[in-house]
Amino acid sequence: MEHSLFSKPKELFIDIVNPRDYVQIDSVSHMYQNLKSSVQKPLKMILLYGRPGTGKSMLLHKLHHDLSKHQKVFMVDIPIIDENDFLRVLAQKIYGYVNREAITLTTFLELASAVNYPQTPIVLLDEAQLYSSALMEKIRLISDARALKFVITLHKTDDEDIIAKEHFQTRIWESIELQNASPEELKIYIQKKLLKSNCFDVANMINDKNIKIISRLTKGNYRDANKLMFSLFSLYAWFEEHHPSKINYNSLKPKYIEMAAIHTGLIHA
Amino acid sequence: MLNIPSLERRWLKYKIKSYFPHILFSLIIVTLMIAITIFINLKDFNKQASSTLVKQKPTNIVIQTKDINTEIILEPSMQFIETMTSTINQTPTPSVSVPVASPKKVPIIQKTIQISNPVKMVQNVMTPPPLISPTIKSNSQPSSIKRDTAAFDIHEIEDRFKNNSNPHLGLYIARYHYDHGNYNEAYNYALKTNTINNTIEESWLIFAKSMVKLGKTDQAKKTLQLYITQSNSDAARNLLDSFEKNESK
Repeated sequence: MEHSLFSKPKELFIDIVNPRDYVQIDSVSHMYQNLKSSVQKPLKMILLYGRPGTGKSMLLHKLHHDLSKHQKVFMVDIPIIDENDFLRVLAQKIYGYVNREAITLTTFLELASAVNYPQTPIVLLDEAQLYSSALMEKIRLISDARALKFVITLHKTDDEDIIAKEHFQTRIWESIELQNASPEELKIYIQKKLLKSNCFDVANMINDKNIKIISRLTKGNYRDANKLMFSLFSLYAWFEEHHPSKINYNSLKPKYIEMAAIHTGLIHA
Repeated sequence: MLNIPSLERRWLKYKIKSYFPHILFSLIIVTLMIAITIFINLKDFNKQASSTLVKQKPTNIVIQTKDINTEIILEPSMQFIETMTSTINQTPTPSVSVPVASPKKVPIIQKTIQISNPVKMVQNVMTPPPLISPTIKSNSQPSSIKRDTAAFDIHEIEDRFKNNSNPHLGLYIARYHYDHGNYNEAYNYALKTNTINNTIEESWLIFAKSMVKLGKTDQAKKTLQLYITQSNSDAARNLLDSFEKNESK
């Protein structure tokens, strides 16, 4: 199993957000450049939204990875739901103010004006749809006071769209929408990921027909594509060990792709 | 951990499920096609059946006699003839005469009626071979029933001649009238026939004979002479000779 042709590709598709695994795709790359330039502008809030699995978190992590080399950036990848905790954690991480007691908004703004950074610190908030309205109002006040710059990500669903409208629409100066991957983008994403790790043989097995099936099953969702490819290569690893004669090394078998989709829950059978 | 056999079973189920609408659709299409084919065939069969029924209708002729109230189903033609023949061969027995629906254009009795007075003309009647009437007795006595339908026939033929101007009909009518002593009519019809076709020898002869009977012997002779110069007919020459001999007597 250790020396299986498919064990390495399998690990590549484990669903972990790691900026080092960021795969450059033209459209996403363009979005990222837009985001980066928006951050440099004197904007208070930037909204990054899109359907689940469109790569928002990955983009936010990549931004954090790139910006943290030059300026103060704080990434909140797990939402801090409690309002007091939120301000306390921000004060600690950005201004180094350690206090176990709750901090009021006024205290936080005083603290922010007391500390001078050459560039306004940036706070990256992932899954912002989970924050309460009251907390979102506080975030707005902090950004209005120019104490902090916020880049927030939102899932674009019908309900969350309402939240976005209510809280951010009038205050956001920049909003970037991420789209689901097209079959071509998905192909580039999968193959680049494999080639990056020198899995040439497996990358060559993926043809356009396979990509069509994968795209149809995942609807261009990167997260689902990762899960599907992980299951698929697990399946291939199993066949390679138990029934190597059933493997065609020229292309991926549609049957196995569908079996992997059943396993991941993309197909209900 | 992957459970491959279970996954394969689920995949098989999924494939069957996903193909089911296609299979169902194909089945519906095939069923529809079969139904349409059967419907068309049935329609054709019904048409054929109705046409055979129409054809078969005349074979079963139902004759209902008013008095007896019984239905006699007769097979036409052959059966009818057989019945007639057997009636002739049998000894005279009181026979029940059944009014038989015979084909319209078959003249039934006229030839046999005139057995007592045989006339040559009968040979030329344009009718099918004479049928023996069921009323004819085996003792070959002439029938007591006399129906003169010949007059009716000659009028019918005259009408036909008016319509189609067939010279053979004209000749027939002229001959008929000459034989019956209607020399004026014979003269007229022979003249008409000659006008239509001037190569019929017999017509010229009847024309000439009619004129003689009407007292126009000289005119008849002139006509014959003219005809002889054109046709070189021996019969016309002989007739002319006979006229001259009669005249000399």
